[in-house]
Amino acid sequence: MSKFQKLEFYAQQQTYELLPFKFDRLNDDEYVITNMAGEFHVIPAPMLEPIISKTFALSPELIATLRSKQFIRFTNEQAPLQLLALKIRTRLSRLAQFTNLHIFVVTLRCDHSCPYCQVSRQSESKGEFDMTTEMADKSLDFVFRSPNPAIKIEFQGGEPLLNFEMVKYVVLEAKKRNLKEGRDLRFVIATTLSLLTDDMLDFCKQHNIVLSSSLDGPMDLHNANRPRPGRDSHQRFEEGLKKARAALGYDQVSALMTTTDKSLPRAREIIDEYLRLGFDGIFLRTLSPYGFAIKTKKFMSYDTERWLEFYKEGLEYIIELNKSGIRFVEQYSAIVLTKMLTSGDPGFVDLMNPAGAGIAAIVFNYDGSVYASDESRMLAEMGDHTFRLGSILEHSYEEIILSDQLLDALENSFTLSAPMCSDCAFEPYCGAEPVYHHAIHKDVVARKPESAFCKRNMSIFKHLIELMGSDEQTKRIFMGWANRC
Amino acid sequence: MALSDTLVFDERLYDAQVLQKAAYRSINSLTVDITSTGGQFICALSSNIGVDEPSFLTAVQEFKKDVLDYQLRHRLNVETQPIKNLILGLAFSKTGLTSE
Repeated sequence: MSKFQKLEFYAQQQTYELLPFKFDRLNDDEYVITNMAGEFHVIPAPMLEPIISKTFALSPELIATLRSKQFIRFTNEQAPLQLLALKIRTRLSRLAQFTNLHIFVVTLRCDHSCPYCQVSRQSESKGEFDMTTEMADKSLDFVFRSPNPAIKIEFQGGEPLLNFEMVKYVVLEAKKRNLKEGRDLRFVIATTLSLLTDDMLDFCKQHNIVLSSSLDGPMDLHNANRPRPGRDSHQRFEEGLKKARAALGYDQVSALMTTTDKSLPRAREIIDEYLRLGFDGIFLRTLSPYGFAIKTKKFMSYDTERWLEFYKEGLEYIIELNKSGIRFVEQYSAIVLTKMLTSGDPGFVDLMNPAGAGIAAIVFNYDGSVYASDESRMLAEMGDHTFRLGSILEHSYEEIILSDQLLDALENSFTLSAPMCSDCAFEPYCGAEPVYHHAIHKDVVARKPESAFCKRNMSIFKHLIELMGSDEQTKRIFMGWANRC
Repeated sequence: MALSDTLVFDERLYDAQVLQKAAYRSINSLTVDITSTGGQFICALSSNIGVDEPSFLTAVQEFKKDVLDYQLRHRLNVETQPIKNLILGLAFSKTGLTSE
């Protein structure tokens, strides 16, 4: 017959052992500590040293919290080790599945001439900037070599609708091949919607293609950011949005914004425009240091501090909206919060370690070149081919995936061995971003104290944690963002 | 003109790597020359070009705090390294990605 342990067994233990964790100053009064799986806790600054030195009698409540998040364990407890191992394995499970996102740049032609364009678009009539069927076939051979059970093919440009015949070819060919492969195959077209026709929508509906579009804010801002003949980008977007939603379904069209210097004083107006057009979220993005953004000096037109003000103002407004009953998400924060509050990894390429380049997303360019990421091909359009992994016409899957260009970038930028990152409490939420750091610092690691990427993300991580600590309702809203279905 | 300051740390209390890490973290405001003499680490701090006096004083203060933080991290790492390896071993031994 089973017996309970003796009473002493259940007595509260006071001696504990430390488990591995990292810490960083959250502000002058508090530290944030993170365990190996990225779970965090905020403690008053004077308590950190005594906890580590074990010279401080911890309250039963604090012991329970630190144990439940595996910062400490009672002597010989095995469960915390198993739990941490399980959470780490869960967080990294995406790596084993390998590349999911395959980007087909079907043309570099575009009807817009945005000064910040990150892919250095060509004019509408230059046919030499179109992908050929031979390249598409070889790219599809490559796509189906990925072991990932879920494959997403995203069409980008230029404006991919200017080479819609190639979009159709790739979709039909991919679906034909998938009859044998049986993957979870999805398609996305990244488009401004300006050239969308009913025939195109019929095709998209027939093949469950979703549309990812661009909206920079109210009409005057959007049209100033996105010039095209007729200066009617916003009108065309709105018309296209209406048609696409009617044909494909309300939630089958998303939008991304780009922040220019003109956007900075208008955070609330931009969010209001997203609300007016029925979107349930916005991605407050920075301008990337690639393509025309560099050539036209747009990238230099505002600094990280100013962008952070914009982001914080926007986020504050979005939180207000949620508190008033309007469900609306800031998507970058939602990605970070998912990493902070769950064991899942949303697989956002910029915030992955090892970097997502090549192993989470890969790009087949209109000229047959294969790039490690969308940013890599943007860099190539500026004449820097560092992350060109090979040619789809000349090189095999193995030659491309095992190329030094890719493996060196992944290995050298690995944050758990990068200076400063390896000790950083926010490392579980951050990413390696070798392409960004190479673009700015000519070094895939770069000196992190000088990195705007590090500064921006560190500020965001701290801001989100402080917001959760200062207001229970905000914390509940954030938990909702992190656990979206 | 570059601003400067000198800080002295007892070798019995601080690890050289700790000072190096704190110096690295300050790299956008100041540079640090670290030398060792008579059981002490001497850290000669110089401001970067374009850093004004208030910013330099703040950076020096941050450097001091960082030294303390990194020393504490060092202690924590030394104590928890074996168990960290054990946890990573547990995590990666069950991925199904390696053959026997």
